[in-house]
Amino acid sequence: MTQSVVDRVAIPIRHARRLPLILVASVLVLGIVTFLSITWGARSVNLGTIWRAFTDFDPASASQTVIRQMRVPRTVLGVAAGAALGLSGAILQGTTRNPLADPGIMGINAGAAAAIVVGSAVVTAGSFGLSTALAFVGAGAATLAVFAVASLGREGATPVKLALAGAAVTAGLSSVTTALVMTNVEALNELRAWQVGSLAGRYANVVTATLPFMLVGIVLALGAGRALNGLALGEDTAHGLGQRIRLTRAVAFAIVAVLCGAATAACGPIAFVGLIVPHLARIACGPDYRWILPFSAVLAPIVLLSADLVGRVAVAPGELPVGVVLGVLGAPAFIVLVRSPRLKEL
Amino acid sequence: MVSRTARSIGAVLVAMSLLSACAGSDTAATDGGTGVTSAGPWTYTDSAGTTVDLDETPTRIIAHAYAAAALMSFGIEPIAIYADGPIKDDVGLQGVDLDGIEVIGEEWGKIDVERAAALRPDLIVADYWPAEEAHSGMEDGVEEKSKKLAELAPVVGPAQGDSIVELIEGYETLAASLGADVDGGDASAARADFEAARDAFREAAEAKPGLTALAISPFGDAYYMAVPKYAPELLDMQSWGLDVIDPAKPDKGFPYWQTLSFEQADSYQPDLLLFDDRNYPTNLETLEAQPIANSIRAFEAGAYTTWPAYWLHTYEDYARSLRELTEAIEAADPDVGDR
Repeated sequence: MTQSVVDRVAIPIRHARRLPLILVASVLVLGIVTFLSITWGARSVNLGTIWRAFTDFDPASASQTVIRQMRVPRTVLGVAAGAALGLSGAILQGTTRNPLADPGIMGINAGAAAAIVVGSAVVTAGSFGLSTALAFVGAGAATLAVFAVASLGREGATPVKLALAGAAVTAGLSSVTTALVMTNVEALNELRAWQVGSLAGRYANVVTATLPFMLVGIVLALGAGRALNGLALGEDTAHGLGQRIRLTRAVAFAIVAVLCGAATAACGPIAFVGLIVPHLARIACGPDYRWILPFSAVLAPIVLLSADLVGRVAVAPGELPVGVVLGVLGAPAFIVLVRSPRLKEL
Repeated sequence: MVSRTARSIGAVLVAMSLLSACAGSDTAATDGGTGVTSAGPWTYTDSAGTTVDLDETPTRIIAHAYAAAALMSFGIEPIAIYADGPIKDDVGLQGVDLDGIEVIGEEWGKIDVERAAALRPDLIVADYWPAEEAHSGMEDGVEEKSKKLAELAPVVGPAQGDSIVELIEGYETLAASLGADVDGGDASAARADFEAARDAFREAAEAKPGLTALAISPFGDAYYMAVPKYAPELLDMQSWGLDVIDPAKPDKGFPYWQTLSFEQADSYQPDLLLFDDRNYPTNLETLEAQPIANSIRAFEAGAYTTWPAYWLHTYEDYARSLRELTEAIEAADPDVGDR
């Protein structure tokens, strides 16, 4: 009974029947971008060598090493972190009914940065592995803190309270970070590497450490569509439909904590993907979260890997970190998006 | 994103980052006296060609930390110094006895000019960077209020030019003019020791024809290769017979380094790798973490050591560094990179 009502939330739109086709087309585009990400870079490697890197790997070949151990991990992280960020953006926007919600404003990046800084101030020599673990813990803890703070009070974690709690936790953590960085050079150096998100220099160890978390989070997130559709109707309606709002929100935030924690630990703070991609998904498929989520999961890696490719060629022979590219391209793209009449209301 | 790179390469990178005219150095001479030779007047012409004349020989000297190390090796002690970073971590200041000397700066680009003014200096001493036409502490990128240090007293100093030997000799001349006994026991013993170390280096290099070396500073996501033309100690080594590789394409607008993506880190195959010693072994770990590291044959063979990067200012340090490099050259296999 309730199920059919919730399902009807998904307003039938004209090209509903074409949605699977569009999604498949998007997956194909993702395949092309993935192919480019593996074949294109500072070092030119011919296709035959790339093929052999997969079929008959010779560790003594520098070109094959570059493909197999540098570009493949980079691309895998790009796809996984992109999907993780896109999905967490969609879930955050749905849960908080705030079209501007993204990992940046929910205290997640600030949490990762604060954890790294505190960690390197307490334990002097920070290794990359330690920083990754700290980023993960910090991002997760900040997400949960935001949710816990917003949950105080009778009505629970309402969208407005979540937005305010996110802003407050971000401000609080940022001041901790700033205070430590101003007084501790070690902390500053450690943080420097985390101020800009990047896919470069993350190899097998980072992939093994973070990929499982992202995969679990992605699978869980993809199943959240129906619950988000309920929340999208507003609390009263969702409640009336028998949804357990608080539980739904708590689960949603736990998933976001895993996704963003792992993505931020792997790549550092990456802005705009989580913010813009869900809007692109809405343009493509309408307001049904059962479609928005898979679309976000496919479109976000396309955006992230494309930005990474731009960064590889923009300032050759050096590289621009993907975080910078997204900052430069993301801001105007977002303005265009906001001005677009096709921007769907939440 | 070069200007964002290392703290340790950062200091030098930022210091060298822009080629532009300097506001600080020319104001130096305005403070001067008449130039008439009489009891006590002091005249000095620095590498920039600026002549400074003072009525009395300066005694209250504020120096950049490296310049201080050089002056102190000849027996001239400044009253205050400013450094490019925390002094305890500075590879160029290890073993320098700074007791009783005030520290008015421990971060690149920041000097406490108020405290400097309270010390009433009569001379500021710092290296001169020809590419930037500025002394250390007055380059582009330094805080405007820090640059006012140059208004307190004349600024002088030998140039970071083609040779560290010339740089040290410049400080020797400056110290002598300030009243130091540069031909005395300690100073000339240090010089003689350096000359012995240099001769041993030359011999070792000549005994290994075909041995090539590459000076590097792996940092963050990039493989920085030092361009000897702008590293006086590497020019010295070249002139003493070590084939230090000149990277083919120094970065545009920032020719001190050629930056490569790690994907191309095997482009040059030297027989001996020289790591920037200022952030060693962090830079070694950075390279080690790169899957491509073992495609650099010298690295795979363990043929690497450090090079004293951009900080040498005394015969003593130079002698010690050259002896370490000599050992590395003697142990190196000139065919590692050619295989």
